[in-house]
Amino acid sequence: MTQADLADKVGVTRQTIIAIEKEKFVPSAKLALEITRALETKFDQVFWLE
Amino acid sequence: MRRDLLPYTLSRIVLSLALGGFFYLSGSSVWSAMLIAGVLIALFLWAPNSGRYSVHPEYGITALRRDERTQVINDQAARNAFVVVMLLSGAALIYCGAIGIASDALVYLKIILLAGVGVYYISDLALRRTQ
Repeated sequence: MTQADLADKVGVTRQTIIAIEKEKFVPSAKLALEITRALETKFDQVFWLE
Repeated sequence: MRRDLLPYTLSRIVLSLALGGFFYLSGSSVWSAMLIAGVLIALFLWAPNSGRYSVHPEYGITALRRDERTQVINDQAARNAFVVVMLLSGAALIYCGAIGIASDALVYLKIILLAGVGVYYISDLALRRTQ
């Protein structure tokens, strides 16, 4: 899945997905859960505390 | 042009032409009114591809939405602009009071508001690069 596909699925811009990947933007719990669902994976495989 | 964004595109063209007409009726020349309308149409056509908005064709004429990152950036930029406007207003008030003039207040107000708008857009650009 491309960044653009994921962005379309969760209703944000591709720039937001890029910012999340680069750890420059912390998404809300709702968006984080939507991303996890769109990627069909477990939450802690995508997001974690440092 | 995306076919699914037709309601958005048509509504923005009508809006741009209406604004151009408004400028013409309020005394601008035909050419400047057409230029304003043309620039607005170009901006509205560019907006869905700008990466600033998430595109939701299902919402029709309001197809462009700010996502949560853009919202955070806009809020921060607005706070920065508000702080600058307040500080400059305070400084202008003290300055005008100190030298005893009130006639230049409107000039200062224009400058302060322009500074606020400038700070908003500069903050927006800077935050987009860093966040």
